[in-house]
Amino acid sequence: MFAHDGNSEVLEREPRFDDITCSLRSVSKLPRGVFSETRQVIAEARRFNEEVVRPRALELDRKKHEDPDYLPWDLVEEANRRGFYSMFIPKLFGGHGMNMPALSYMLEEIGSGCTAISNLVGVHYLGIATLCGSWNTRLMNKIMRDVAAGEKSGKPCLVSLAITEPGAGTDTEELELISRAKVTCHAERVPGGYRVNGRKIFISNGHLSTWHITIGYSDLDNPADTMVMMAIRTDMDGFSFGRQEHKMGQKGCPASELIFEDCFVPDELVCFDAQQAARYARPMAKITMQVLDYVLSASRAGVGAFGTGVARGAYEEALRFARETEVEGKLLINHEWAQCALAEMYKNVALARLSYIETNYANGMYGLFKVLHYKPIFYFMKYAPQSLVDAFLEPLVDLDFVTWLFRKIYFDWQKEAEYERTSGWASLSKFSATDAGERNSELALELMGGAGVRTDQVAEKHLRDSKLLQIYEGTNQLNRLNLFKCMIGRSAPEAKVFED
Amino acid sequence: MKCGMDPELAMFEQTVLDFASKELLDSRQENDRFPFGPLFSDVLAKARAVGFFSATMPEELDGSEMGTTELCLLLESLSRVDASLAGVVFTDTLAKEIVYRARGFLRLKELTGKVSEPGGSLFAFPSQSDPADCTGITAEPEAEESYALSGKADYVVLGGIADSAVLPVRTGDGFSLFTVDLAGEGIGISEPVLSLGLHACPAVDITLDGASGLLVGDEGQGAEYLRRVEGRMNAACAAMSLGVMKGAFEEAVAYAKERQQGGREIVNWSEVRRMLARMAVKLKAADMIVAELCRSAEDNEPGWEMGSRVAALFAGEASVELTRDGIQVLGGNGYMEDYGQEKRFRDAGQIRSLMGLAPIRELKLMESYLAGEPLY
Repeated sequence: MFAHDGNSEVLEREPRFDDITCSLRSVSKLPRGVFSETRQVIAEARRFNEEVVRPRALELDRKKHEDPDYLPWDLVEEANRRGFYSMFIPKLFGGHGMNMPALSYMLEEIGSGCTAISNLVGVHYLGIATLCGSWNTRLMNKIMRDVAAGEKSGKPCLVSLAITEPGAGTDTEELELISRAKVTCHAERVPGGYRVNGRKIFISNGHLSTWHITIGYSDLDNPADTMVMMAIRTDMDGFSFGRQEHKMGQKGCPASELIFEDCFVPDELVCFDAQQAARYARPMAKITMQVLDYVLSASRAGVGAFGTGVARGAYEEALRFARETEVEGKLLINHEWAQCALAEMYKNVALARLSYIETNYANGMYGLFKVLHYKPIFYFMKYAPQSLVDAFLEPLVDLDFVTWLFRKIYFDWQKEAEYERTSGWASLSKFSATDAGERNSELALELMGGAGVRTDQVAEKHLRDSKLLQIYEGTNQLNRLNLFKCMIGRSAPEAKVFED
Repeated sequence: MKCGMDPELAMFEQTVLDFASKELLDSRQENDRFPFGPLFSDVLAKARAVGFFSATMPEELDGSEMGTTELCLLLESLSRVDASLAGVVFTDTLAKEIVYRARGFLRLKELTGKVSEPGGSLFAFPSQSDPADCTGITAEPEAEESYALSGKADYVVLGGIADSAVLPVRTGDGFSLFTVDLAGEGIGISEPVLSLGLHACPAVDITLDGASGLLVGDEGQGAEYLRRVEGRMNAACAAMSLGVMKGAFEEAVAYAKERQQGGREIVNWSEVRRMLARMAVKLKAADMIVAELCRSAEDNEPGWEMGSRVAALFAGEASVELTRDGIQVLGGNGYMEDYGQEKRFRDAGQIRSLMGLAPIRELKLMESYLAGEPLY
């Protein structure tokens, strides 16, 4: 009755079967422990939200408004005390080893109270993810164990990603653009390492971080082939902080300027460069884009979660207002138009959430955390005592062979269709969920009218916070183009992207 | 707004733009820091001196006798540079217009004649709310026009700097309007209320404990007095939105011509150019609507007030959309206070919520149409 011949060919047609079944394919392969871990993470996030985030979000926003140089160390220390900065670091590297997709749920939860505080946690993992994207296991171990030690000592050790430059924002996230970009952060090859000069701007959590995973270029005229990823500590000679940006919203999360003046980075702190790339199959420029795609596919799901969180926060404020405010003689919640507006907002939240969930299914199958989701590895890491891991496994990660093996798996063995799939989904989630966040914030203000513009009613803060989500981690316009490139343009050979 | 061939209006527009460029442009970011920075009192004094306050009032009331067109040009031109001062002018004009249209000439004469501080001549009003929903105050009659007012008035714009406020109070089935001496007994004024935009046009919450209020016009006639000024003030709202749109569009185009991405100016990438085009369409449409509205108001065409409601709703929504894209064109820079775009986005949202909930205003528009008021 059913024809089986030719299925593969039929299913390769757009929309491709593999693209639309990430969740279906994942379900049977996913360890059951992922569910219980996620449940635990959401509960932790909700407690943090109720005890810390919601009571202090407005106060933080106001403090930063009053004093733009204020740094929220108290909140960072509280998050550190609760183990949030090593919660998603694998046990192999000294962390608590919770599964990475659960981070997105956490960011949504915290983001529903305050996107800035959610960033104080989430952006740290952008730095971690970038470090992991290099698969330099020795450096990964060094830095992530610093983070874990910071948790034990009570002195937070955060990691930031420093990529954006004054003359190049979006350009730095796309290979086709970076080759024509005006980058200025020069990593000059010198004996024993690199000498770095230049500035990075808009670096989230910059002033709060100990390590900065910094992207420089050894040839400013050819950045695509000469990217250098380095780990730079705040106390290194030649490194200093510039100003904190004065932002419209997300005030509680500093956006910093980082200044490099003849900052010497020894070889042991070089995460990845062209010399290291020479051992692998693809050319440097291709691997650079692969690394960026691994990182962005994970981080853009996180930004999708921020967007979902702020969409939910705006919806919750609008619902609260509608339940307690009389308009034209009856509660707003009993006006039919208001009910439809609230339903629209609820829908925006639900679809935004589904977008980051599906992206994380893709990442679990094909992206940054695919090895960690392999059942034997997942359960071994979950139940093996930390002392056993430290005694027998940790020494292995310092071996060049381990770095080489992971890079073989992640660089050479990853198929182009796989990173197109994760990258495409991540971009879809990023712009869909952040557009939903901004839209819901506007809808909340529309529904609340004059009360909505008051800061003490929270909705206006959500609106200010939400707008940044449409800009960072690649503008939503760039993400649309990336979706086109990954999921549409590949089947239209005549299509040329970034060649308008 | 297109001034047509009227040289006087064009000169007036240029004068206001010159004033805004000189007095507001360089200090825009600093002024917007209020209440964490000083209020721009020197600018208020200059604005008062050149006749921006009491803009539509007759000369006997220290006014400039502006018609709807001049008022719109004034507010639009100020908003093009910094909408906060336009918000001050708007609220003051709204409050005074209501009292004036309620046969309150003598009251205005008395209240405006005794002030000394530049902000004191201003009138405060809860201009972000629909007065019909102001249910927080009760009024007990004392003698003739005098009532004892008790309760709370939320978000009274200019309440922290004006000497007098006009407050709506629910009485019987409708609402009445009262003037209140803000330095009088029984008045409690909060710290400035932090808000989305128009930071230099501050608002406060006011508590009243048996405070003396003087009835404006007749009891229960607040809705009627408001209706008399609604057309002009809706036009004023639309003009403010339009001014913000022009400022955002101009900055976006200038930036797009300079900033490079992928090796060339972003204005040459078609998606950015299309965003700018969508901004241009909204801007031009709003510009034509406000110009036509002013013409019909000056000619007192039947039904022009209906058009003013449409104009305020359209321009309010369009300005939020346009300023949102205005930030986006500038990317990360657009989100920073060093540029004007983020402030315009916030100001646009604040202006859109003037005169009450937009959805309710939409419903009332339709109600009027269904009751027989012509739409076109």
